[in-house]
Amino acid sequence: MTDRPDGSDQAADHDVPIPYRERISTYYQTLGYGAPYRWAHFAEVPFTPLKKPLAQSRLGLVTTAAPYQPDKGDQGPGAPYNGAAKFYRVYSGDTAADHDLRISHIGYDRVHTTATDSNSWFPLPLLREVAKAGRIGELAPRFHGAPTNRSQRVTLEQDCPELLARLVEDRVDAALLVAV
Amino acid sequence: MCHQTVSLAARYLEENGIPTVIMGCAKDIVEYVGVPRFLFSDFPLGNPAGRPHDRESQAFTLELALRVLETAPGPRTTVQNPLIWNASPDWKLDYSNVAVLSPEEIARRRAEFDREKEKARAIRDKSAAE
Repeated sequence: MTDRPDGSDQAADHDVPIPYRERISTYYQTLGYGAPYRWAHFAEVPFTPLKKPLAQSRLGLVTTAAPYQPDKGDQGPGAPYNGAAKFYRVYSGDTAADHDLRISHIGYDRVHTTATDSNSWFPLPLLREVAKAGRIGELAPRFHGAPTNRSQRVTLEQDCPELLARLVEDRVDAALLVAV
Repeated sequence: MCHQTVSLAARYLEENGIPTVIMGCAKDIVEYVGVPRFLFSDFPLGNPAGRPHDRESQAFTLELALRVLETAPGPRTTVQNPLIWNASPDWKLDYSNVAVLSPEEIARRRAEFDREKEKARAIRDKSAAE
């Protein structure tokens, strides 16, 4: 694995976080798509401190996973990319109930993972346990699904305000966002 | 797009007074957008909440995210999950890496991508018209 001149037990050169922007850009250019995608990029980053301890806070959950739709083709586990399973409006679900959320509409790693355990991308059952144990004050009554749109304008002008409105309505003190 | 979407949402929520933490596997995308708090797991995309069928890994990962939410001293706080995917890092060489694809495979993927994009466009147009 390691081949260091000094013979030390260091990590392999490619054992770094995958440079996705570079990989994806090169990938699509090689596939014949014109200008590379311009990812959102900000110099300023906002920060809001927690107002009270987590054990007294109501936590909201946001996911990019999609509800399973039987009429929309193969959604896995292990399904190829399925554009038909995408959604373009914020949706919400009851956190007290179990949900069948899938990720076939997302470019996850289909070579090295199989999408057979939704707990690896949608930690709702675990959050219910964590709330019961008192680690967080409580889980908000709803979780919210965020559409993964190529257009940053649509995300910022349509979806973000909708997510905020729903989380405010749920009176959350903080939010956990899980990016598949 | 999902790491970008979630990053934009986290920023928006924070600007409006809601503290956030992101769980994700694409470090460069999230940090390039710029977010308040981020728990990075160096796993294949699709496993932001821990390794599949590994309850202990999922509980550890969630607890770490909650601690990042509680203790981040300021914006752009990234904590890397110490758990690894498996003993070999070679899985990192495969994702969307044209260096490992044959010309035939590239042509096949191009055709497939065109088909899926068209399907997604149809849904988006329908949704926008509602």
